[in-house]
Amino acid sequence: MNRIEQRLNQNISNGVKSFITYMTAGLPNYDTTKKLVKAQEEAGIDVIEIGVPFSDPIADGPVIQQASFEAIQNGATIDKTFAMMKELREENVNVPIVFMLYYNTILHYGPEEFAVQCKACGIDGLIVPDLPMEEQDELKTFLSDDTILIQLVSPVSNDRVDQILSDAKGFVYCVSSMGVTGQAADFHKEVKNYLSMIKSKSKIPVMMGFGIRDAKDVSPFISDIDGAIVGTHFIDLMRTSNYDSKVASDYVTKFKQDLNNTNK
Amino acid sequence: MNQKAYYGKFGGQYVSESLMNTLKEVDEAFEEAIHDPKFMEEFHYYLKQYVGRETPLYYAQRLSEKYKTKIYLKREDLNHTGAHKINNVLGQILLAKRMGKKKVIAETGAGQHGVATATGAALFGMECTVFMGKEDIARQKLNVMRMEMLGAKVVSVESGSNTLKDATNEAIRTWAKVAEDTFYIIGSAVGPYPYPKMVKEFQSVISREAKKQHYEVEGRLPDVVMACVGGGSNSIGMFADFIEEKDVKLIGVEAAGKGIETGEHASAMALGKPGVLHGMKSYLLQDENGNVQLAHSISAGLDYPGVGPEHAFLKDSKRAEYVAVTDMEAMDALMELTRLEGIIPAIESAHAVAYACKYAANMTENQSMIVCLSGRGDKDVHTIADYLDGKGYLN
Repeated sequence: MNRIEQRLNQNISNGVKSFITYMTAGLPNYDTTKKLVKAQEEAGIDVIEIGVPFSDPIADGPVIQQASFEAIQNGATIDKTFAMMKELREENVNVPIVFMLYYNTILHYGPEEFAVQCKACGIDGLIVPDLPMEEQDELKTFLSDDTILIQLVSPVSNDRVDQILSDAKGFVYCVSSMGVTGQAADFHKEVKNYLSMIKSKSKIPVMMGFGIRDAKDVSPFISDIDGAIVGTHFIDLMRTSNYDSKVASDYVTKFKQDLNNTNK
Repeated sequence: MNQKAYYGKFGGQYVSESLMNTLKEVDEAFEEAIHDPKFMEEFHYYLKQYVGRETPLYYAQRLSEKYKTKIYLKREDLNHTGAHKINNVLGQILLAKRMGKKKVIAETGAGQHGVATATGAALFGMECTVFMGKEDIARQKLNVMRMEMLGAKVVSVESGSNTLKDATNEAIRTWAKVAEDTFYIIGSAVGPYPYPKMVKEFQSVISREAKKQHYEVEGRLPDVVMACVGGGSNSIGMFADFIEEKDVKLIGVEAAGKGIETGEHASAMALGKPGVLHGMKSYLLQDENGNVQLAHSISAGLDYPGVGPEHAFLKDSKRAEYVAVTDMEAMDALMELTRLEGIIPAIESAHAVAYACKYAANMTENQSMIVCLSGRGDKDVHTIADYLDGKGYLN
């Protein structure tokens, strides 16, 4: 079974909500990224999203744009990100890891070769924000259950939801606001109805992301989701703490605790 | 895969899930509109009474004499606001109105599409925001002033290369957030489907008129049709009615900047690989890691690392040929047209003129070609002056 499915399903069985963070690969360098992955694994993170920096991140707000830009300036590339992943797996890091990246990076690499590398480097899933279901065939041909393509739904997906869910694996990524990442808790006005609609339809875990900073941001929706995803806020936190592992692991520990206390 | 979104293997809808239903709504409204005689009548009313169409197909006599073939210029520079961009803006803004949208947003490079959109927004009483790269704001001050006079808000985009590519990124980001009440007017033949189709539809008036006008004078089709290509809006409009006329040679002229070999150019067709940017799959300038490369051209309107998907298809299917001319060749042609014909073309359009003069060597005196003079050079006088002074230019 895929590591993401295994972890999230186990959490559901145990009545535990899951937590996912996002960080940009190679920000400020790969050693730091590795150190932060390890610290979070130890703190009990469920899945880590690693952003592969791209020159034109159209689904991201200013914070992740800037993170992406700086990582590229510091030399981050897809090849180096694969190499880092390989090392992490060799160093017995077993936390489920998802790549968040834009389709051009995959297309340029070659979708077939890309899928092979993902499997070889232990990448459990992919989130490709500019690849709606209509455009996924080219990539999916080459993916196996080792690396699953995570489906995103938005508050305005409406009549598209059934078809998106019919093909979803791992978890369904519920985008909670319109626009881009990092708009502090400015959720869509219909977010509650939307989340409960998705939850009622989905056979797999439902994760909420975009604009979340701490567990109380999602507490009004806790019964409709299986967990939360934090990206922009986590990057801000890492920057202001000068990428301190202790700050990362404390944040993960606290978020998971609060998430599950809200739950009780 | 949504086949109708594709031109061969190019095109598609590479946008976030939250925009997919928006694109569907735009597509449905667009298809309905262009089959509604009332809509098309209104569109053509504004093209005639407001834009001043039809534009002349001018026989450039002195240029033709010098290059020993018949050169006709399709005078899109005579349109209201100074370029072909207004054709498409009026089509899209009428569509926006029909869809009940009260606000429009646009990206702009040289500022021509921004000015056209601000103009259309003023005409129809809509709120207008234009995204423009910080670098372009500096080199196209006059157009920034015009947009502001027209009541538009110009947002300076400071990310990436601070030019058209980044302005488009920011427009797409904003659109994803505000699509419920806002229409995004894309100015070039790029973007996710149906945008490339819409832009072609609303720009095809260029070739419809030119074909008829050429028949009136020459009694036949032209041998060659030529236009400059950045994203490809004037060229797709100039080609549209000739694509099915297999005897007419179609040539798109990209910007070779300082020279293809220097790496500082904007020739996606010459050196790009298929890639995905701004919601479409097409030829794209990229580095070895799959990041989008900065384009370079003295002309802000051609300074774009990609190209419209139908052009990519026309190239692959060999229906059209794509070539490139350098900054220097374009500026020489600009001066030559100015002195020989008394027409100061936009630097973008001067690229097409430059290649027309080169290509004329392959033609006889009785053959003819139509060159799309997509815009006038008023907006470029500072760049031209700096260039002539040997001061170089921004970018």
